[in-house]
Amino acid sequence: MRLPILAAVLGASFCVQGAFADPIEIIDQRDRSVELEGEAQRVVTIPIPAASMFIAVDGGTDRLVGMHQLSKTAIKGHILERFFPDALAIPSNITGKGFSFVPNVEELLALEPDLVFQWGHLNDDIIDPLVNAGLNVALIKIGQEAFTRKWLEMMGAVTGKPEKAQAMIDWRDTVAAEVKAATDGIGTEDRPRTLYFMNYLSSLRVAGGKSYNNFYIDLAGGRNVASDLGMFVEVGVEQIIAWDPEVILLNGFEAKLSPQDVYDNPLLADVSAVKNRRVYKMPLGGYRWDPPNQESPLTWLWLSMVLHPDKFDWDLNDRINRNYEFIYGQGVTDEDVRNILRFDMNADAAHYDIFADG
Amino acid sequence: MSITNEDTARSAGRRFGLWGVLFILLGASVLVSLGIGRFAVPISHVAGILISNVLPIEQAWPVVEERVVELIRMPRILMAGLAGAGLAVAGAALQGVFRNPLVGPQIIGVSSGAAFGGAFAILVSESQVLLIGGAFGFGLLAMVVVYTISRQQGRASILMLVLSGIVTSAFFSALVSITKFVADPDDKLPAIVFWLMGSFASASYDKVLLIAIPVVAGTLVVYLMRFQINVLSLGDEEAQTLGLKVERTRWIVLVAVALISAAVVAAAGIVGWVGLVIPHFARMLTGPDHKLLIPASALIGAIYLIHVDNVARASIPAEIPVGIITALLGAPVFAYLLRRAANKGWSSE
Repeated sequence: MRLPILAAVLGASFCVQGAFADPIEIIDQRDRSVELEGEAQRVVTIPIPAASMFIAVDGGTDRLVGMHQLSKTAIKGHILERFFPDALAIPSNITGKGFSFVPNVEELLALEPDLVFQWGHLNDDIIDPLVNAGLNVALIKIGQEAFTRKWLEMMGAVTGKPEKAQAMIDWRDTVAAEVKAATDGIGTEDRPRTLYFMNYLSSLRVAGGKSYNNFYIDLAGGRNVASDLGMFVEVGVEQIIAWDPEVILLNGFEAKLSPQDVYDNPLLADVSAVKNRRVYKMPLGGYRWDPPNQESPLTWLWLSMVLHPDKFDWDLNDRINRNYEFIYGQGVTDEDVRNILRFDMNADAAHYDIFADG
Repeated sequence: MSITNEDTARSAGRRFGLWGVLFILLGASVLVSLGIGRFAVPISHVAGILISNVLPIEQAWPVVEERVVELIRMPRILMAGLAGAGLAVAGAALQGVFRNPLVGPQIIGVSSGAAFGGAFAILVSESQVLLIGGAFGFGLLAMVVVYTISRQQGRASILMLVLSGIVTSAFFSALVSITKFVADPDDKLPAIVFWLMGSFASASYDKVLLIAIPVVAGTLVVYLMRFQINVLSLGDEEAQTLGLKVERTRWIVLVAVALISAAVVAAAGIVGWVGLVIPHFARMLTGPDHKLLIPASALIGAIYLIHVDNVARASIPAEIPVGIITALLGAPVFAYLLRRAANKGWSSE
C-alpha cells in the first residue's frame, strides 16, 4: 500500500523538477483516471471540506477559482480569512443552497476550471453534467480516514506539491498512532457514550456507524451510541434519552447552535451529558473540525481530552501553533486558540478549563 | 308498525355497540401507545405515572420515565390523534359535498396552499401563531382559487373542481419551492424542509393546543352541517329542490375543512392519504349518513394515525416520516376500496 504512494510522490516530484507541462495523471476515488496537461491552475472544489484543504496543500488561494457556499462560511469571520484574505473573493455560487451539491454547470464553465473536485459517493446526477460539459472531474469519497489521505495525495499531485501533501499525511499517521496507542487500552465501560448531532435546530440528526465522526469518536476513546445506524440519521428525542449519551458534540454547520440550546431543552434534562454539562460545540479552525479536514489530527487530540480530561493532557495550544505554521505558514495567538476551540460557547462546559492555560 | 320499531331498536343497539367499540379502541390505543417507545418504561410505571396525576400515590419510578411518558409521548399521541381525526373528518366532509370518493384535502388544493403559507411564515418569522395563520390563510386562498377556476355559469362541475385542484396544487408547490430557494440555508431552509416533511417528532403541549382549537372547531362546524351535507350528497339539483342554499352550504363546509387541514399541516406538515382512505372505512361501518359517518371517521382516523405514528417513532432507532407510512398503507388500501366501491355504483360525474 505504501509503495505505490511513494512511487506516485517520487514521480510527481520529478515532474516539478522537469518540464512544467509534463502531463499529470491521478486515479480518483471512483477508480477513474483523471489527466491534466500540467499542474492544475484553475481548480474548483464542490465538496465542502475540500476548499480549505486545497488552500492548505497549495499554500495559497491563487489556484482555487470556485468553492461551495458552505466552504466560504467556514472561512469568513474565522482564522482562514486572516491567513488568506483573498479567499473571500473566490466565487462560491456554483451550487444550490444548503447541503446541495448540484452544480450550476454554466456558472462552473464560466470559471474555466481545469479540474473540478466533486463528491463520488452521492448520486451520479451531480457528476454527469460536469463530465458531459467536458470538465475534468476528480471524485472523492467521505467516511473513512483512508479516504481523506487520498484527497491530500490527489491534491498534492495536481498542485505539484506532493511533499507537502505527504507531510500532511504523515502527520495524520503519527498523531493517529499516538492517540490510538493512548486510547487502545481503554475498555468499553470506560469509554464515554458519545453522540454527535449533525443537525439539532431543525431536526435531530445524528452520526451513525458509517460516518467519519464514528471513526474519530472511537479513536479518541469514546463510544458512539448511534454506531448501529448508517451515516447521518434522524432520530426522536426518546431514542436520545434511551441512549443517554455522556458527551454530546454539536456540529459546526449550524452556526447559531450552541450547547446552551441543548441545556435549555427540558426534554433532554435527564441526559447525562446535559446533567454533567458535557455538551461541546465542535471547534472551527482553518475549517470545521467535525468533518474530515486538513486539521483532523487536532480534532482527535482535542476530543480525547474532552472525553478523558483526567487521562490526557496534550499541549493543544502548542500543537495548534506548531501545526498551523506547518500547514498554513502562520502562527496563532492564545486568543486565536480560544476562538478556534469555541470558548465563546464552550467556556462553561465541564472540564473545558483544561484548554485554557497556555 | 312493530317491525319498523324493532328494526330501529336493533340498529340503535348495533350503533351503540359500534360507538362503544370505537371509544374503547381509542382509549386502549392511547394507553398502549404510552407504553411504546425507544426508551423502556415498564407498563406498571406508565400506569403509576398516569394515576399520580389524579391521586397522590408514592412515586416508584425515576423522574426521567415520567418526563418521557408525560412530556414526550403524551403530546405526540394527542397530536397524532387530533391530526388523524381532523384529516378524516375533512376528507369525509369533502367527499360528501363533492359527491366524489376521490376527493381529499390534498387533492382539493388546501394542503399545498397551507404548505406554502406555513413555509412562508417560517421564512419571515418565528411565530407559531403566524405559522398556523399563514397555513390557514393560504389553504383557504387555494380553495377559493380552485373554486373560482372551476365555476362555469354559476356552478362548478366535479371534474373541473378536481382538475382545478391539481392545477392549483402545482402552482402552490412551485411557490413552496421558491420559498425554499430563497431561504437562508443555515437556519430557515432546514426548518422549512423538516416542517414540510411531516413529523410529530417535535410535539409539545403548546402545539397540541395549537392544533386542537382549529381541529375541534372545524369538526364541530362539519358535524353541525351533517344534514346539509347529506342533502348535498344527493346532488346539487335535488338539494336545490329541497330548498338548500347549495353554494352557501358548500362554502361553510369548505372553510371548516380549510381550517382543519391548515392546523394539521401547521403541526405536522403534509400527511397524505388519511383523509382519503379513512372515510371509506367509516362508511363501510356506518353507511352514508353523515350524522354517523363524521364521528366514526374522526374516531377511526385518530386510532389509525396514533398507530401509524407508533411505527414511525418506535420501530427503529431512526425516525420514519409519518407521510411515508400513510402513503405506503393508504395507496394500496384505497385502490382496493375503489375497486369495491366501483361495483356498488359510486356516482362519478
